[in-house]
Amino acid sequence: MAAGSSSNVNENIPVFEYKDINTKPFHVGSFRTAWLEKLKPIDYSYEDKYEENEDADFAKEMGIAPETLDELKAICSVDTLRGQAEDEPLDTNVVPPDPTLQTLIQRKKKQDYKGTLRIDKISRVDHYQDELESLAVGKRPEDPADLVPEGEIILSINVLYPAVFERFRYVRPHMTLQMLGSHSLVDLRDAICCISDLQVFGEFSNTPDMAPDFISKDHFKSAFFYFEGVFYNDMRHPECQDMSETTIEWAKTRDFPTFHKAKMEDTRFYDLKVKVGYPYLFCHQGDCEHVVIITDIRLAHKDDCLDRKLYPLLTHKHRVMTRKCAVCHVYIGRWLTTNDPFAPNDPCLFCERCFRMLHYDEKGNKLGQFLAYPYVDPGAFN
Amino acid sequence: MPNGKAKDRFLKPLVADYEELLGRFQQTESVRFEEFTAIWRNMGFSSVFYGSLAGNEMREFCHLTLTMAFNYFLPPYSFQIRVGGLYLLYGLYHTQLASPKEKIRIALKDWEQIQKFYQDSVNSQHYDAVYIIRKLIAENAVLYTAMPQMLTFRVKKKPQHHKVCEEFRDRPERVKDLISTDMLQEVANIQGHHERLKASVLERSSIAVTQQDLPARLHSCVLEFLHWQDRHENHGDADHLVYAEEKAQQVESSNRAQLLASIKTKSYGCLAEASKSRRHRQVEMDTSISGTGYIKEAPKYHKSRAPSLKARTNKNLCGEGDEQKIQYWLLSAAEEDKTALKRQKRKHSFRW
Repeated sequence: MAAGSSSNVNENIPVFEYKDINTKPFHVGSFRTAWLEKLKPIDYSYEDKYEENEDADFAKEMGIAPETLDELKAICSVDTLRGQAEDEPLDTNVVPPDPTLQTLIQRKKKQDYKGTLRIDKISRVDHYQDELESLAVGKRPEDPADLVPEGEIILSINVLYPAVFERFRYVRPHMTLQMLGSHSLVDLRDAICCISDLQVFGEFSNTPDMAPDFISKDHFKSAFFYFEGVFYNDMRHPECQDMSETTIEWAKTRDFPTFHKAKMEDTRFYDLKVKVGYPYLFCHQGDCEHVVIITDIRLAHKDDCLDRKLYPLLTHKHRVMTRKCAVCHVYIGRWLTTNDPFAPNDPCLFCERCFRMLHYDEKGNKLGQFLAYPYVDPGAFN
Repeated sequence: MPNGKAKDRFLKPLVADYEELLGRFQQTESVRFEEFTAIWRNMGFSSVFYGSLAGNEMREFCHLTLTMAFNYFLPPYSFQIRVGGLYLLYGLYHTQLASPKEKIRIALKDWEQIQKFYQDSVNSQHYDAVYIIRKLIAENAVLYTAMPQMLTFRVKKKPQHHKVCEEFRDRPERVKDLISTDMLQEVANIQGHHERLKASVLERSSIAVTQQDLPARLHSCVLEFLHWQDRHENHGDADHLVYAEEKAQQVESSNRAQLLASIKTKSYGCLAEASKSRRHRQVEMDTSISGTGYIKEAPKYHKSRAPSLKARTNKNLCGEGDEQKIQYWLLSAAEEDKTALKRQKRKHSFRW
């Protein structure tokens, strides 16, 4: 039946499941083929289209004479949109006086308010954070083999921080990564930086120099992604366990549809069937869970970063305040001590130098009884 | 990348400006680009991007302008408004001040509509519309995406759907969609088939269950409706005047009602709620607001809200608690440094 086949075609076209919130699930690879079918290759290529060719095609299609074409071009050129005469230099930083547009009226209010402030400074760090997005725009690789091919899919993925901080109640802190469709899920996993990966486990007051050898990232390598009822496990290393096993077993006893399993390293983004704008899960270190949202899927464009080596590309990262040492208040805290007679409170943060100075003598002997744990500050990735 | 705050702030004035521009374009009753640019220059629309916006706000604002303008390029708007939307997109793309330029996002689901629009323009020989579409695609101004906006699952904030402006809406074609020529053809076929079966089964074929000339009658009904629609549109202006007069009377009466209501609220509304423990002390009424000519507005700068239930319970049961939380990381800081670390509270922050 005609209706049946058209619904098959439409499955690859993403539509809203809930308006303006998320879409129905669709297959990423088929979405790409659907777009590539509908477009001519020249539409999405990186080269500039020659104007003469474009004009010639247009004249042929519409069947108009060259004089009409010239007249048309003059009418439709961008210069007709400019208001005042060209010789007046226009200051685009200032709202023009007596605005009639509503947007300008609103903006003028803000501008007048800014004028009343004595100091108006934007924090330097926020400034750099804003710059991060446009850092890699338009970059071309030196080696042409590294060029992102035309018609490649770029995904924007938001990975939210694990919501254990109290102060993150009103903001959703996240990092935004841009990935290519041909990347696999392990590339995404490696690109996610979470401080729980750096946590060092154990008490080290007796052996303070041995701390860096025991990073959690090396010990607990298992992780999984959950997309649309399928758990993708990281099975690259022999010590990786299948963490999704428990959940799948539990779901079988309850009234859930059966979940499936797959390998993270074998799945590329093209093979995924996902909803855009819908939260999914990434779990590592056993219990550190991140919400993953795919915000956008689109074809690559001339102005994007076209160097394969730079992907996965970080476009946005929320900054976390770092906790400083209680003694010098200058350096970031590296050690956490409890039961410490030298410390003013329990537990107490110290930076490396203050910690050594206070708790160990010149020869490195431990002074007094205390417990010391290496501390990783959440702002370690700023 | 998208910050929800920018969208909330800039949305309403922007949509108001667009509807103003498109309203004027609709009145010109033409689809020529020259008419559009005349209105654009008149309104000074290029200045919509002026005024320094902090940090990334300019880029987000440009993104927002293009996304909002794209809504006017799709159905259910009438053809003229859709052409206006196209010109609007073209104008905004070229006059934007973000660098590199923010692109126009076209979702896969809307591509069919756009192709149909392109075909209609070609067939009706609207050279400028066709030229502009081709130019935008040729200039790489388009991003081919899955969805028209970036979706971040902001469920808590009520998502602001694009409200279709009723004046720009196309004439409803529901009747024509229901009774299309294909459907009439099928109905005629089925009727013919039915007649033949009847003739072959019964000897007396005088019993008629269905109307004999059903397709013809449906067709004439549809034509009649279309004619009525045409006539109704032309006479719409006269109706509008009558409607406007009625509305003016309603507004007067509602003004008076509002005034009475405001007086009432003034007398009862100024009493702050006293907590149970303080009821013996009457709260004084605030009669400083003068006269009947003052309509009470909701105060914009609401410094002290009534404390929530949680706060009140906390206060009543848990006591004041540690007013001064010991700031461990500041213990070794000198006294004079401590004040320097505290941020000065702004006298009043900016309300958009």
